[in-house]
Amino acid sequence: MPDQPFPTASVWPDLEPHLLRVRKPARYVGGEDNITVKDPATTRTSWLVCYPDTYEVGQPNQGVQILYEVLNEVEGTRAERGFAPWPDMEEVMREQGIPFFSLENHLPAGSFDVVAFSLSAEVGYTNLLSCLDLAGIPLRAADRGPDDPIVMIGGHASFNPEPLAPFVDVACAGDGEEFVLEVNNVLAQVTDRAERLHHIAQISGAYLPDRYRVEYLEPRDGEPMGRLRGIFPAADGATNRVEKRTVTDLDEWPYPKQQIVPLTETVHERYAVEIFRGCTRGCRFCQAGMITRPVRERSSATVQQMVANGLGNTGFEEVGLLSLSSADHAEIRGMCGDLADTYEGTATSLALPSTRVDAFNVELADELVRNGRRTGLTFAPEAGSERMRKVINKMVSEADMLRTAETAFGNGWRHIKLYFMIGLPTETDDDVIAIADMGLKVLEIGKSYGRKNKVTVSVGGFVPKPHTPFQWAAQDSPEELDRKLGLIKDRVARDRNLNLRYHDPYPGQIEGLLARGDRRVAAVVQRAWELGARFDGWDELFDYQAWVRAADEVGVDIAWVCQRERASNEVFAWDQLDSGLDKDWLWQDYRDAVETQSELDDCRWTPCYDCGVCPSLDLANQTAHAQPSQQHSRRLPVLSARPG
Amino acid sequence: MRVRVRFSKTGKLRYISAIDLGRVWERALRKADLPIAYSEGFSPHPKVSFGDALPLGFASTAEFAELTFGGALDIADATARLNAAFPDGIDVLDAVEVADGAPRLGKLLRASLWGVDYADPDGLAEAVAALPAEGPLDVQRERKGEMITADLRPPLVGIIATGAQVRAILHHPGFIPEDPGGPASRADDIHAVLGITQTPIRITRLAQGRVADDLSGIDDALRGSTTLLDPAAERPPAVTTKERP
Repeated sequence: MPDQPFPTASVWPDLEPHLLRVRKPARYVGGEDNITVKDPATTRTSWLVCYPDTYEVGQPNQGVQILYEVLNEVEGTRAERGFAPWPDMEEVMREQGIPFFSLENHLPAGSFDVVAFSLSAEVGYTNLLSCLDLAGIPLRAADRGPDDPIVMIGGHASFNPEPLAPFVDVACAGDGEEFVLEVNNVLAQVTDRAERLHHIAQISGAYLPDRYRVEYLEPRDGEPMGRLRGIFPAADGATNRVEKRTVTDLDEWPYPKQQIVPLTETVHERYAVEIFRGCTRGCRFCQAGMITRPVRERSSATVQQMVANGLGNTGFEEVGLLSLSSADHAEIRGMCGDLADTYEGTATSLALPSTRVDAFNVELADELVRNGRRTGLTFAPEAGSERMRKVINKMVSEADMLRTAETAFGNGWRHIKLYFMIGLPTETDDDVIAIADMGLKVLEIGKSYGRKNKVTVSVGGFVPKPHTPFQWAAQDSPEELDRKLGLIKDRVARDRNLNLRYHDPYPGQIEGLLARGDRRVAAVVQRAWELGARFDGWDELFDYQAWVRAADEVGVDIAWVCQRERASNEVFAWDQLDSGLDKDWLWQDYRDAVETQSELDDCRWTPCYDCGVCPSLDLANQTAHAQPSQQHSRRLPVLSARPG
Repeated sequence: MRVRVRFSKTGKLRYISAIDLGRVWERALRKADLPIAYSEGFSPHPKVSFGDALPLGFASTAEFAELTFGGALDIADATARLNAAFPDGIDVLDAVEVADGAPRLGKLLRASLWGVDYADPDGLAEAVAALPAEGPLDVQRERKGEMITADLRPPLVGIIATGAQVRAILHHPGFIPEDPGGPASRADDIHAVLGITQTPIRITRLAQGRVADDLSGIDDALRGSTTLLDPAAERPPAVTTKERP
């Protein structure tokens, strides 16, 4: 296939006769309400916006939805969607010679100018390779020719693009809205592929891995692999650092306007609107909170308008008010009250998927459901002991949690879910057992309000992520996590109303490998894929042994990547990507955490502590809260785009 | 106010399941801003009920649903709004108000006329003519991983070939006269029983209701109008819109 020009005819006639051979054929047919189907003959630039997982996981993704609309609003530009085929469909496609295709026109991926993947998690990497391979696009960027599409990645996981570096032409750091439009302008003006890449490389936020050279040090005594010496610009115009993109005013980007309405069940079935982007809580484990700074709130008026339009043009029955900590929005009380007024007595339900642990959050939840069902509320104390929560900077006391539970059960909620992590830095067995104890205490409160009230304790293994204070931390091995889970299981086994949920720790080990791995890990991804690894986020398909064998064959030591605490001066694979956070500040915050367990306030309400983001972006937190001093002591003061 | 509708399920929408179809209906009703009634109870849901599910992949121009609204509404206007709200592939083709005391929808959907379309008309008429006039019409089929034998004879009312289409009327399970039991037949058994090599392009439910008294076709569940098994046949004079018990 690679030597042939890509077919440009719809694959539908070849695909349709086989649709009944696969599970859930609705995944592959498109045809949903609110899709944009443009005639390829009348468009000059074309994008295949992909999510490297199944349709039902990928379609609700906000990034895919937003970029799809933003691009399709450009006249002459066509954006279509692609999702990873389940193995049964992959088999059919290989047997029938059907290439990876889009859902709008069912066109082969190879016929698009750009094939772009939204990576919100690391576990989609092998699927990305499946999509490229099925498309007939050479896996390695170096092997691509003038007629091949440009392969692009973006999203949170691409803040460390190195484990995918040989496979992608361009990685986008940060918000994609403006970035894709700038790339699209290049596509519209230039036709030669190499020339296009040359121009794209000039766009702020663009990281082209092949323009950087990686150097390694000799392995130290007792270490199986050499640490990084550095990642160096290796082409004209390549800069030492690639600054992330940041959309400054969300009110100017009111997407999704016309959300696609899936024909088959997806993981979220709702009209979703981001009420703000960014987070200032400073939870030390949280990559999303760190890389999306500063906070940019969408105004209550825009949110309400988007919700009214979004429900009207989709028929969705649920609204999700999304953000990293929704109760923190300055206008949240009024926003929830107004929305509740508007939809009271209708079948429309409102959800605030925020996990802040306080009575105010319960009050908001009460307001949103009014006379509706008070079924479950979710909170994320993240750690069981007071000490551990100080380490991770989750400033919630046990008294807060119990008071919140009291309020929730007292107000008629029947089921509380609590999210925790194990394997956090400095964690002891006592910290782990404290998770079970907190669950039991909350359950005790629940029972005092109703015999049938329930508590779910959900436990995940912590995976250190790039651009966070914990990027230096050692990850617990899967065996150690299993042992710690055992401690919790023993403690809660007695109570039937306490439902314990936990994840298999082995996928977390691979997530850790991909999260903090350097360019050498790309060979593991490719070999694991060759050995059959697919859908690594799915328990039923995850194949740990394929990864272990692949790492072994290519000489990467998984434990060295995951279980090793990094040295203070160590070069990271992602240092060339500038999330705005000052590395010295991150290091100091890490030491504060593990040495003195000192907490750091939320800079939305307290003076700046110089994480570095705002000055580098010439921005400040944009909220309607009364603003604390935004004077950044170590750098020049900056003007807020919308002063508080 | 209760309204019964006949609607189509065609094109890409053929690949959505019965559960998915219910959701598409609920969203279209909300998008069209129609005053659908909701069930009582802990988990209220819109009052929409359907006939038996159409198997995945089959097309239909004769699916039926019953909708309960909170108040009176203009049926023509509601139909237009619904059709604007549905994705391509679903269209409301007919709608009538349900009189109090009318039999349940399920009681009216007793048999279907199926059309099996092929690319090539060659051999179809011969295959139909070669079917034995009586005795079992056994079809082997996989069900839940096991091979079973279904007999198409008890539900089969009539079968003809016309051009590149084979048409057959089948009683629905539960409405087969002198039903001997055994595995239920499906519309794709019509193809299987013919024993021909080419595979159908499409199988479509063309009409649904009850078998006409003279066995010539299907009387529509809403209107009683007859869709003939043989489209070339002369229309029987006696058939008019009539109330049936």
